[in-house]
Amino acid sequence: MDHYKKAIRTRILLLAVPMLFSAALGIYDVFFAGPEIKDSFIFGFQSGVATACGLLAAILVIRYRAILHDEKRLQLEFNKENDERRKAIRAKAGLPMILFTSVLMIIAGTIAAYFNAAVFIALIAAALCQLTISVVVKLVYMRRM
Amino acid sequence: MKTRIAEMRKARKMSQEELALAVGVTRQTITSIEVGKYTASLPLAFKIAHYFEMAIEDVFDFSEYTD
Repeated sequence: MDHYKKAIRTRILLLAVPMLFSAALGIYDVFFAGPEIKDSFIFGFQSGVATACGLLAAILVIRYRAILHDEKRLQLEFNKENDERRKAIRAKAGLPMILFTSVLMIIAGTIAAYFNAAVFIALIAAALCQLTISVVVKLVYMRRM
Repeated sequence: MKTRIAEMRKARKMSQEELALAVGVTRQTITSIEVGKYTASLPLAFKIAHYFEMAIEDVFDFSEYTD
């Protein structure tokens, strides 16, 4: 279990990166961004995604810190992560590759937004669509298995 | 697949969560195995049988695969 504790500590350190990035971007947006940036089509989306990532990372850090201080929760979390049925369900839902490709599509869409709004909308819609399908498949298999 | 896990667990007055914790899976997995929705992998089946100090074929019913 010490090995798993070390892995959790590493995850907490890695999650600090999106938290700091989100905070830095938020400060830049509020105090330094000019009107030409704030008025752009993509500004709201980027701010929203950055804030959501930062908040998600903060929630995960709080959760992991709580788990580190509770041996039973640590064991339960370890079992949950290594549970063979959950792994089988995730594999059937195409995870983690669907998540990986969706994130790449969202990043590509965000960059594309500076050149073409239609490409941005198409990429974000496709990413959301495949994430939704993955979640539905996962829910179906959670009931079936 | 039919199993005797629920029967043996109840005989030992164990909860599904206690068994799950002992064999390293979630409570939901034990529930699924008990009701026959999920077939345990060979390593997990061995772990469960070993936990109850029984042979694997005494815990899991393999008749549907051998007939």
